[in-house]
Amino acid sequence: MKPSGIEMSEVSVRFDTPDGAVHAVESVTEHVPDGSFVSVVGPSGCGKSTLLAVISGLQRPSSGAVAIGGKTVTGPDPSIGVVFQEDSTLPWRTVEDNVRFAMQCNGVGKGEQRSRAREAIELVGLAGFENAYPTTLSGGMRQRVALARTLAVEPEVVLMDEPFAALDQQTRIFLGAEVRRIWERTGQTVVFVTHDLSEAILLSQQVWVMSYRPGRILEVVGVDLPAQRDPAIVSSHEFNELHNRIWSVLQAESMRGFQQQEAARA
Amino acid sequence: MTLRLTERAETVARQPVSRRRWLGKGATSAVATAVLIVVLGLIFQACSALGLWSEADVPAPSTVLAEFGRLLGTGEFWGDLGRTALEVLLSIVFGCTLGLFAGVLFWKLPRVGRAFEPYLVSFYAVPLVLFYPVMIVLVGINASSVVILASVMAMIPMALNTTVGLNGIPPVYLKLARSVGAGPRRILFSIALPAAGPFVLAGLRMGVVYSLIGAIAMEFTTAQAGLGYRIRYLYETFESEQMFGYIFAVLVLSCVITLSLQGVERVLSTGGRR
Amino acid sequence: MTVHAPNRGGMPKRLLDNQFVGGLALFIVVILAWQLCSSLTFVIPAPVRTLEVLGANLTDASYIFDLRVTAQSVFQAFLIGTLLGGLIGLGLGLSERARLWFEPLLVILNGIPKIVLYPVLLPLFGLIGAKVAMGVLFALFPVLINVATGVREMPRVYWKLASAVQANPWQKLIYVILPAIRRPLLAGLRLAVSLSVVGVVLSEFFATRRGLGRVVLQSYNHGDYPVMVATVVLLIAVAFVISILLWRWEKRLR
Repeated sequence: MKPSGIEMSEVSVRFDTPDGAVHAVESVTEHVPDGSFVSVVGPSGCGKSTLLAVISGLQRPSSGAVAIGGKTVTGPDPSIGVVFQEDSTLPWRTVEDNVRFAMQCNGVGKGEQRSRAREAIELVGLAGFENAYPTTLSGGMRQRVALARTLAVEPEVVLMDEPFAALDQQTRIFLGAEVRRIWERTGQTVVFVTHDLSEAILLSQQVWVMSYRPGRILEVVGVDLPAQRDPAIVSSHEFNELHNRIWSVLQAESMRGFQQQEAARA
Repeated sequence: MTLRLTERAETVARQPVSRRRWLGKGATSAVATAVLIVVLGLIFQACSALGLWSEADVPAPSTVLAEFGRLLGTGEFWGDLGRTALEVLLSIVFGCTLGLFAGVLFWKLPRVGRAFEPYLVSFYAVPLVLFYPVMIVLVGINASSVVILASVMAMIPMALNTTVGLNGIPPVYLKLARSVGAGPRRILFSIALPAAGPFVLAGLRMGVVYSLIGAIAMEFTTAQAGLGYRIRYLYETFESEQMFGYIFAVLVLSCVITLSLQGVERVLSTGGRR
Repeated sequence: MTVHAPNRGGMPKRLLDNQFVGGLALFIVVILAWQLCSSLTFVIPAPVRTLEVLGANLTDASYIFDLRVTAQSVFQAFLIGTLLGGLIGLGLGLSERARLWFEPLLVILNGIPKIVLYPVLLPLFGLIGAKVAMGVLFALFPVLINVATGVREMPRVYWKLASAVQANPWQKLIYVILPAIRRPLLAGLRLAVSLSVVGVVLSEFFATRRGLGRVVLQSYNHGDYPVMVATVVLLIAVAFVISILLWRWEKRLR
């Protein structure tokens, strides 16, 4: 059988800081099945973004390796798309030119760029804004532009690093539903990092709980909710049960992280 | 630490806040400025008429204006203007090009940038003009000594602003560039320079102003041609009226340059969008 | 300064990370280049020779007098320029109307080569006054612009806070505005120091009885290049050292 999905084996990342080594990620060995939607939650300061950076090829692991579709990740690759937490739209380009940027870097033909950009803009619900500049758009719309830019390259894997962290609650819920809808259509493998537990449960098939330093995957929780999810599901019994179960782990970890950070500051 | 100084004194105009004046305010400022200039002129005229100072020392504005009008018809004036313009133009081209390269270099090689930073920051305030006598001893009294120093003066704000702008690029832009596999050239031209654009423009504007200031100041101290030289020459031969005509010409010239630079900067930084 | 990762780069690389070491290395390179140039042409004295001349000058009473004349004018110019610039800047920063009316004119004034105004200043202020006035003109603008922008860009919450605790205007200035704009203010002062030196010395190039600017021009006319270079180096070094000290201070401010 051909290996598929994202395969992480013994991935560790250590940073040297003036106060000694930080084990951001510690021997993570997990598998993300092809076409699945996995969320990673954890206390702030745990290595969840670092783990994502390793998968994307932006960060080299100190040891261990990541393989996507059986191919070891050695650096950024067009088959891996990343959506960042910060606003990454380029203010001097129009929406369409922003979406085309990633394709330009990957040598997609001009005509193809245009049609794929239009398609991606349509997909994220920004049709009609092709010639607008990001400065005239809201934060949520800019993140849609970033999402469209990533999707237009048609990557096998989409990595999202707290993409909605800077947005308000309503926009978040709404955009989350959009992401889920798009995923259902494209069937790409998605790894979604968030610190919002409800968001994680609502969107994904699997939730990974990460520990505060050293960053390990403490628990992999399957989300056994119906595929058709509308936000009303948050009031269901199943959702609450899952939420409570993960929260009990997460809460202890967050507390530990908080105390360690306070101690380090003192 | 990266270069992170804020030369606020010279980079005010690049703040979008102060640039985003709507027409009403812009018009107010334009009218106010015109009124102020006229009022100041009238006050000067009145003081001259009252005999607060001798007409031989400082002629009345009306006399200066008339003299300026006469100068515009003389070949000597255009010769001096041409000489100064050539020097300024050359120093802008050399200085700003070198400054841009230096800025990119300091960004790419932070160690070099850090080593240069204290010097650039200090020479920003241009005690460089003081090197001029040394320069003419080396190169001789000719246009090239003026051009060399004026270029250096133009280069410093350009290099500093470019470096500050490049170091201030939001890190996510560079992460993005890496994640989509952009090459070094694409990163420089499609990400870094556009992102630092407002700073580079401000550097360019200051470079132009500095090269004008530098060139005229050096002509003034010791040179044998150009507007600055002519003012000094006329001063030494006590041709007060003509000298003030030239001084007025320099004021008009720098005013035109400042205003047109602001116009260009505004068009470049907002005209492209929206 | 940052502490560096323990295991990155060898010894020399890590040393160059230090700005002081890097700057010093650059300084040495410049001195070596100077030495090289001086061996190529007779008009440039070697660094050591320059230092000797400088030392000899500094024990010469007449030179010290010139030095004192210049220093005095620079000090006056700096003081007046800073005060004037600070006050005007404060006015422009506080009042939107004042800004609308006066800012464009000030921007234009800042862009002119101020040295050409010297013949205007001379009859108005006299021989001594004119060079101080020129120094003031040079020193004025950086302080003015930095104070105006600093005040304008102060976080709005500071104003709210000041009103909430019912601070009077003086208290607002001393406890809120000045601390809030300390960084741009210091940057403005730093530029003002060097610029007042430039303004005064340039004026002395032009017409004066005493002062280091005159010494430079006179030694140039006499072909006494060592004295000329030594004086230029002295002026630049003093402006440079003050500027660097202020810059370090500015960087350390929080």
